[in-house]
Formats: sequence, C-alpha cells, structure tokens
Amino acid sequence: MADPVLELRDVTISFPTDRGLLRPVDGISFAVAPGRTTAVVGESGCGKSVTALAIMGLLPSGGRIGGSIRLAGREVSTLTPEEWRGKRGGEMAMVFQEPMTSLNPAFTAGEQVAEALRIHQRLDPKAAFDRAVEMLARVRIPDAARRARQYPHQLSGGMRQRVMIAMALACRPRLLIADEPTTALDVTVQAQILALIDEMKRETGTAVVLITHDLGVVADHADDVVVMYAGRVAERAPAEQLFATPQHPYTIGLLGAAPKLEGGAARLASIEGTVPDLLHPPAGCRFAARCPFAIEKCREQSPPLGEVLPGHNVACWRAPLDTLLEVAA
Amino acid sequence: MSGAGGKIGVTAPMLELRDVARAFPVRDALGRSKGAVRAVDGVSLSVPRGSVLAIVGESGCGKSTLGRLALRLIEPDSGSILFEGEDLRSLSAAALRARRRDMQLIFQDPFASLDPRMTVEQAVAEPLRLHGIVPRAKERDRVAELLSRVGLRPELARRWPHEFSGGQRQRIAIARALASGPKLIVGDEPVSALDVSVQAQVINLLQDLIRELGLTFVLISHDLGVVRHIADRVAVMYLGRIVEEGPAAEVFGNPKHPYTRALLAAVPGQGRGAAALLEGDVPSPINPPSGCRFRTRCPHAEAICAEQVPPLADHGHRAACHLQHQLPPAIARHERDAGGERLKRLQAFFSDQRTGE
Repeated sequence: MADPVLELRDVTISFPTDRGLLRPVDGISFAVAPGRTTAVVGESGCGKSVTALAIMGLLPSGGRIGGSIRLAGREVSTLTPEEWRGKRGGEMAMVFQEPMTSLNPAFTAGEQVAEALRIHQRLDPKAAFDRAVEMLARVRIPDAARRARQYPHQLSGGMRQRVMIAMALACRPRLLIADEPTTALDVTVQAQILALIDEMKRETGTAVVLITHDLGVVADHADDVVVMYAGRVAERAPAEQLFATPQHPYTIGLLGAAPKLEGGAARLASIEGTVPDLLHPPAGCRFAARCPFAIEKCREQSPPLGEVLPGHNVACWRAPLDTLLEVAA
Repeated sequence: MSGAGGKIGVTAPMLELRDVARAFPVRDALGRSKGAVRAVDGVSLSVPRGSVLAIVGESGCGKSTLGRLALRLIEPDSGSILFEGEDLRSLSAAALRARRRDMQLIFQDPFASLDPRMTVEQAVAEPLRLHGIVPRAKERDRVAELLSRVGLRPELARRWPHEFSGGQRQRIAIARALASGPKLIVGDEPVSALDVSVQAQVINLLQDLIRELGLTFVLISHDLGVVRHIADRVAVMYLGRIVEEGPAAEVFGNPKHPYTRALLAAVPGQGRGAAALLEGDVPSPINPPSGCRFRTRCPHAEAICAEQVPPLADHGHRAACHLQHQLPPAIARHERDAGGERLKRLQAFFSDQRTGE
C-alpha cells in the first residue's frame, strides 16, 4: 500500500458535559491510501460523523482529540485553528449531507466555488470564476455558465450537491471526506452523485472517506470498510472481504437487517435493543448486550481489534464465529 | 389468525380511489398566482382487504398527498374515494368522524408525531376516549394491552415521549394508531427515520400486526427494499401519476415502465456501475412535460410520448407507457449475495424476540 494520505492511530474524541465526560469516539485506528475510498459505516451515534469533523478540525468547542491524526504524514490534531483553516478547502475538503445548509445563500454557486481557488491557489477573481465554471461543468451541471450566476435556492437538491462537490474538489485536495453525501437525495440522483465522486477520485487520485449508514452504497463504492459501533471499530477489512466473510456479529446482524430487493427472507434479522449510553459505556464489548453470541468474557473485557485474516481485523472475543457453525452442524 | 382472508373477492375492496386529483395553487413572492402544482393527477387504485399496497416514488411525486387524500385528510378536487364501498366524499362531517376510527395514519417522524406534553398512556388513550371505545375504567388495561402488542413494557406508560429512542417512539405511534381498532392504516415513510437495526425491528412488528390483525395497509415509501419486503402490490408514482402498478413480485421482477426500471437500477448494492444512470432531475410539477411526464428523462422516448398521455389499464400488472411492448426485456437484477450460506446461518442467531428495549 502506498503511503497513506490519512492515518488515524488510537484516536479518542471527548467532550465535557454536565453529566460527565462523553467519549463518542474511543480509540479508533484506520488509514486511507491515495485514490482509494474507505467507507466508515455505522448507525446514529457510532461516532462516524464526529470522526469526520475531528479530521477536518471542525469539532464543536470543548471537543478534544487524543491519539494521532496524520494527513500526508504530518500530525494535524495539534494544529492551531489558524493552521487548520489553511488546510481546509486546499489539502482536505468535505461534502456534507445537507447541501442547502452548507452553501451560503447570499453568494452565487460560481462565487462559492471560486472562493477556494482565490484563497488556496491565489487566482485573481476573474480567473477563479472561470475555473469555477469549468469545475461546475466537470461535475455535469448543465449550462454551467448560467448556473454559476445563480444562488443556491435556485438550484435543485442534486445540483446543490454537485456544487458542493465542485467546491470540495476545486483545489484537488489529497483527502475528501463525504459525510452521508446522498442521504438527503432521491435514489436516482444519489446514483449520479456517487458515480461522480468515484470518477473525480479516479481523475485526481484524491483519497475518499465515505461516511454512510447504507451498506449497499458501501458495497458499490468502497475499497475498504471500517464498521463502527458505539465509538469503536468493530471490524475493518477490504470491502470484498467484508461482504464475503463478515466476522463481527454486529456486521453480520446489520447485513441481515437491511431489506433486500429480491425479497427473500420472510423475517429480517433483528438486532434487539439499542446502543449503550456513551456516558456510561459498558466495561466489556460494547455490543455484548445485543449480541446473540456473547459469553461472560464479552461482558467483562473489551476485545482488542485483532487480525483474523490478512488485512481483516475484528474486535470480537468469539471470532472466528465459524467454529460455532461447526458445532451447530 | 388469517384475518379477513375469506372475504376477499366477495365484498368491495377496503379502499378504492377513482380518478382522484388534487392541485395546490402556487404563488410568487408578491402573492400573484403562478399556476398550480398538480400533486395528484388522476389516480385510480384499489386496495383489497388484508393486503399491503405500497406507493413508491421520489420526493415530490405526490405519494404523501395521495396517502392523505385516501383518508380524506385533504379534499380532492375531483374523483371518488370509496372506503368499504362507501364514498367518503358523500359523508357528513359527523359520519366521517365516526368512520375515522376505522382508518389511521402513521407518520415518518416519531419525534414530531407525539405530543411532548402527553405521557405515553395519555397519547395511546386519546383515540380510545375520542371514539368512546372502552369505558374509562378499562382504559388503563387497554393501553397496557396495546403497549405489549407493540413490544413495549406496560410499565413504561407513565413516561414521557422524550424518554424514548426513535424506535420506541415509533412503536408508541403504532400503538396509538391501533387503539381505535382500525381496518386500514396508511404509513407515510413509517420506518425511514430509523437506523437499519431498529428499522428491522419495526418492520418485523408491522408485518406481524398486519398478519395477525388482518389489517389493510398502505405503505408510502421511497425505500424499495422495505417495499419489496412487506408489500403485496406496488404502485410507482412519477409527477402525480401512477406509471406502473401490479403485484410486488412482478413489478420488481419484470418492471415494464422505464422509470420503474431506472428506479430499481439506482438502488445501491447491485455491484459497481450496474446502473444505467438516469440523467437530470425530476421536472417541475408546476409545468410538467406534455404527454408522458417521464419522457424528458426517458432513454427510449419517441415522438408519440410528447403528444399523447399514455393510458393505464384497469387491473393486472399495468404500466402507462406507449412503448412498453417494444422495450428491450428488463435486465435481470443482480444483487450481491456475497456472504452465501455461512452468512445466512450466522444471521439465524439473530432471532426476533419482539421486545422494544
């Protein structure tokens, strides 16, 4: 693997609250190589979005980062807000779920794309705007020259998300973080936007972190997958391998809980219960209370992330589960 | 257990819509009329007793408006809505109110659909009281029964909505909808706001309730996986009109309308680049294309598509497409089943206890 663009080592994120220290992310590690897409997948509260914000230096006030986050080999978790601002939009960029609230309603689409080019590439306003129109055409906004002079409210949801992508990729960042980039969009538009991100990634060699709750999106667009549960990495593997031989009970349950287009199973796999309270996380494995495979040890000791197959890591005392199948058979 | 199965075919359908239309006026910033959005434009549908009909489509296609029209929560401009053969539009206000106990609506957002100032017990008891269903003395027992029916411990009745997770709130909303003993429930994206693992719990619950109580269910959803999982029939809407309707297995297995095909192809999880992408966005419903409304995005469109509105047959697996008999056969969909037998056997450990904790 080429030198990673992004490397997280034992990253912890914490916030002081009235009820004690909240740790939405508790010791996660993964790396993203150039030109590859790493999906971070999990349900609400698993810590995937706050991880994205931490990488971008956008944590809400009071948030603290422990461990190490390296961008192209350089530590960023200790940057000053000023230094971090210099990286955002240039070396690293982000696309959010809701394009309406992340675009500025007072500026035209073209001006917003041009801004990054003026700041990071020091283009003069005219050249920056021309280049912005080019970018808008590249993300296949029809009639880009006219659209560039329109305001966000005059654009459809799909088009706004294209503007966001044009903005994010204008300066050819090393790293693009896409946080549920298509969740607010209709399925036909979602397909267009995800294909666009793939295409841009191939062209620019940008490393992509795709944050999503949709395993179908992961299967179609990710090279590597990090499955998060309650602030920890449950499983980490190349995408093909994760879908072929998922190891963590949470991953297995999640795959069975999503309804399939083929119909098929009369009943969906049901992961009973809900995620633990992160102000008072359980001592052992955080999934133990909902896990049909859990034994005493799971409730007492937190499982480390260990390699079960080459490149395939899982945090589960019971892995590999296949021995249980042999017993059952 | 098999509910109203025996009556099918003998009596009228539970719900029948005939050529229902509704437009909403649109005004500009100065209040001048800018025309109208024809949100639902001539829809005819029939929902047999004890069956599940799904209405699918993308945002703005009119599916939510149609759901509300079906319950006469909003008035149609034209057409008729028959509930057990009786035209809801001909009912007096009082008669309609009395009929309401037979039909209920479940909303998408369980955080907005429960009154934060009412305890769970009050929320679930409200419809009981409104329709005089049980004597006051029996109210508490009935609420407890309804809560356990949806997988919540009856002890939770004294709690407030904010004390519950999204999945639990949606169970409370379902208990509330069941309170009046309805025959028909319309669920408007009832599981869309939930995380996958919780969504599976609520889908399993809904399926159990539909089967055990013999409910007729209209599911409004944009999620084709959820629809495939619970619907008997599927109606696909595009810009206010039904473009295809039929038994779920046929619509999914052999989609006739190019829009249905595009919609199915766009569902992620079918392998990289599997989908022939649909270009562009949905046109404005204020000024929809002439003829077939999908023609501006349709890869097969011909001259006739702009000139004539394609008709939709009355029953069977029907599609509103001029070219449906000359289109290439639908591409057999190929969903990854990467995990195979091993995964199925491991998933079998996730048995379903029907609890809401």
